Amino acid sequence: MGDREQSHGKLVQGTLDMLILKSLTRGRQHGYGIAQIIKQASDEVLRVEEGSLYPALHRLELDGWIDSEWGQSSNNRRAKYYRLTAVGRKQLTKEADNWRRLARAIAQVMETA
Amino acid sequence: MNRFLKRLRALWRRTELDRDLADELRFHQEMLAEEMHGGGRKEFGNPTALHEACREMWAFVWIEALWQDIRHATRTLGKTPGFTIIVVLALALGIGVNTVIYTVVSSALTFNTGVKEMDRLVVINTFAMRGDPFPHSWAEYRDLRNALRSIQALAAYRPANVNWSDSTGPPERFRLMRMSANGFAVAGVKPVLGRDFTAEDEQPGAAAVVMLSYHLWQNRYGQDPSILGKTVRVDDVPRIIIGVMPSKMQFPADTELWTPLDSDLRGAAPQVILFGRLANGVSLQSARAEVDTIARRLQDKAPESYKGLIVGMQPFLNSFGLYPVRGVLIAVVCAVGFVLLIACADVANLMLARCASRAREISVRIAIGATRARIFQRLLVESILLSGSAGLLGWLVAVAGLRWFDAASINTTRPSWIDFSMNFHALAYLAMVSIGTGISFGVVPALRLAKVDVNNAVKDGGHGGVGSRSSQRLAGVLVVFEVVLCMVLLSGAGLTIRSAVNTYRAPIGVNASNVLTMQVYLPEAKYPSNENLVSFLRRLKRNLQSLPGVDAVSLVSSLPEGFVPYYPYLLEGQPRADPNHESFVAGLVVEADYFRVMQVPIRRGRVFNEFDGIGGAPAVIVNESFAAKAWPGENPLGKHFRWAPQGMPQRWLTVVGLVPDIQQNFQHPVDRAPMIYLPYAAEPQREMVLVARTTVPPSTMSEPFRRELQRLDKNLPVDRLRTLEQVIAQGRGDAAVFVTLFSVFAGVALLLAWAGLYGVVAHSVSQRTREIGVRMAVGGTAGDIVRLVFWQGMRRILIGLAIGLPLAGAVTFVLRALLVGVAPGDPLSLTGAALVLILAGLLGCAIPARRAVRVDPVVALRCD
Repeated sequence: MGDREQSHGKLVQGTLDMLILKSLTRGRQHGYGIAQIIKQASDEVLRVEEGSLYPALHRLELDGWIDSEWGQSSNNRRAKYYRLTAVGRKQLTKEADNWRRLARAIAQVMETA
Repeated sequence: MNRFLKRLRALWRRTELDRDLADELRFHQEMLAEEMHGGGRKEFGNPTALHEACREMWAFVWIEALWQDIRHATRTLGKTPGFTIIVVLALALGIGVNTVIYTVVSSALTFNTGVKEMDRLVVINTFAMRGDPFPHSWAEYRDLRNALRSIQALAAYRPANVNWSDSTGPPERFRLMRMSANGFAVAGVKPVLGRDFTAEDEQPGAAAVVMLSYHLWQNRYGQDPSILGKTVRVDDVPRIIIGVMPSKMQFPADTELWTPLDSDLRGAAPQVILFGRLANGVSLQSARAEVDTIARRLQDKAPESYKGLIVGMQPFLNSFGLYPVRGVLIAVVCAVGFVLLIACADVANLMLARCASRAREISVRIAIGATRARIFQRLLVESILLSGSAGLLGWLVAVAGLRWFDAASINTTRPSWIDFSMNFHALAYLAMVSIGTGISFGVVPALRLAKVDVNNAVKDGGHGGVGSRSSQRLAGVLVVFEVVLCMVLLSGAGLTIRSAVNTYRAPIGVNASNVLTMQVYLPEAKYPSNENLVSFLRRLKRNLQSLPGVDAVSLVSSLPEGFVPYYPYLLEGQPRADPNHESFVAGLVVEADYFRVMQVPIRRGRVFNEFDGIGGAPAVIVNESFAAKAWPGENPLGKHFRWAPQGMPQRWLTVVGLVPDIQQNFQHPVDRAPMIYLPYAAEPQREMVLVARTTVPPSTMSEPFRRELQRLDKNLPVDRLRTLEQVIAQGRGDAAVFVTLFSVFAGVALLLAWAGLYGVVAHSVSQRTREIGVRMAVGGTAGDIVRLVFWQGMRRILIGLAIGLPLAGAVTFVLRALLVGVAPGDPLSLTGAALVLILAGLLGCAIPARRAVRVDPVVALRCD
């Protein structure tokens, strides 16, 4: 990973959790899949490193926002799939609202100032 | 909570968690690899670190660390079984004997009387110097009760032993307390059944009543609730049972019965003991001051009768239970505490010695990233593991020790209410001591090791390491400390041994084998006059004598271990001394055949016959000590003297016989006391001891004696039916128990101190192998090396002795109450103790010294 890309891909603190939760709204997914979804949805701007992805996944699982189960991947391998829980869904709505408010506020500042 | 449960499950399935994590990350890697065509591994970063990061979220890190530490510690300790066994044994001995003594002493001192706020209860003593309650007269009681403001309520009592008979079972002899009717109210206890005493019960002519202890109600009457109103005979006087006291009530100890104070105790003569409860907010000091003021007023009013009187006040507890001998108990506790301290010092020493050899291991651990806190924790876990296992083993030692102590002290003057079972206090104490020792001997070496200088230790190959100089110094100090404590314990043991030898060697003066003894008390209600007493006992004696297997029977007022009254005497031709400087002599009342039964040879004159004492014939027999004191160098036969309680009419007595000294007190058998013997008919007593010489083993005669006594009077209880040998063994039992106790302590202490010294010297020899090799290589002789090693060890012994000798002299002073014929600071005991220590020291040095002279210089120089 180059310096340029890294600076582009850096996530604002706390937003990774939101992105993970959001990416799971489409259904259950394994860690690699989650990273892919985020990468593709952001037109490859956001690259989630494994070093932050997995600790985040496990933290979210311990918090009870996502659940996990083992299953077969599309290429017939044993993989750990994560799924959004009801609590997680509520949390996502809350964080998304927050994010929207924050983004609007930042945009406003950038336009007027 | 949910989160906690998830983690708990993860803790339970640790291997599964690890496998899942690995699988999950591998899957990601493989997907990446597919995507990047082989470049994945590089992109992935550090999988182990990631694994750990995820894992830590799930795991209770400290529990796992602790678990790891425990496993590691077990492994480490298992690798050095010698060290582990010595440490665990030393501590187990220390903890075990401590728990035994703690249990014994706490059950002896924390005696529950069942009385509310016992510490507020006081006894008023006429003589402040004496610990025992001293009788007052009824008039004094009345005056004090009305005058004292600092005492809420004042009560009077007088203890007695009584014969108890009813239709339920055989007659028994019980301890009774005659008490003013307000006694229970002052003590703050109410009966569980029936009613308390009332003022009416005290009035002359009131129905005679009695209160039972719970113990008696349970044992004799099976807790029969219809017992109230039943009539029993107390000293052959019918009394109605009005109540039962609570089960815990022990006031004073072993009291089974309470009755109101009889009106015949209300005379002018001092007969009652006073106790009261301090008024709210009044301190003992201010109450004492008030009593002092009243005493001074009494003395001003009637200087004749109150001359030299000191009125004092003591907490009731002071005259209770084992309180009076608490000094001795504290000495025992200190002694056993010393043993534990020595054990701890030993263990600390061994840990220190290990420091050096482990310095390298620890350094490597620190070098590869272990934190010092973690190292400290691990070492501490090791210590606690050691002391914990020692605690478990110590518990076994304690259980066995208590069994032994219980069995061994049966034959002593130990009070019956002491309960020697291990209680929760003792267990809590044991746990505390175990953990406490673990921490105390673990902290110093652990701190030292955790501070190890990594560079030096790794370079040094673990030889010098860990400031080995200061380690050696600390070890030396610990050994000196052990020697000092050991010295104190050994001198204590020496003193008690000498004292016990004196006790057992002291000649009794009688032939104790084949003698059966039995206490008989004839109550006044049935045997009002002296003639009744004499005729009953003569009849009993005749009947017993005719039994097959009985050789001779006689009577004595008190057996060797019993109380002997002392009264002033006046020799013929001597001026009457003023009351403060009178000479006293102990007197026993004996029946005609006493000296024959006891097989005491008559030195001069004759023994009593059936007619001595009758009609005022003034015959007396004296022992050699008295004769030597009263008429030194003269023939005592035919001499006259007067002997009587103060204020009683005195007659002139004529000496008719001279007997050798007979030991009357086994607790202090060296004090040879002057003694006189009066004929039974002259001074008939209600309470006498029957002594019988048998031709068969005396214990086989118990049943016939019981039968004969109760054939003559079915209401007479059989009391203290024992052989004379049992009586004597009981008198000497205390000495035997204390001697064993102190010898065990001192033995354990010596063993531990020896192990400590040996450990230090041996370790230092092994540390200095290379130095010794060099010395030998440059021409040092074996003698030089031996001197070097011995100087190492003996220097510490000598320093320890220099401190320990004077200390032992001072500390063993607390034992003086126990000692017979030997004083604290006895030079023989002290030098004996010192010699034993020096011998142990030499032995401790000899083995390492032998190893040192066998050092092969070539090997030593090459080693490592």
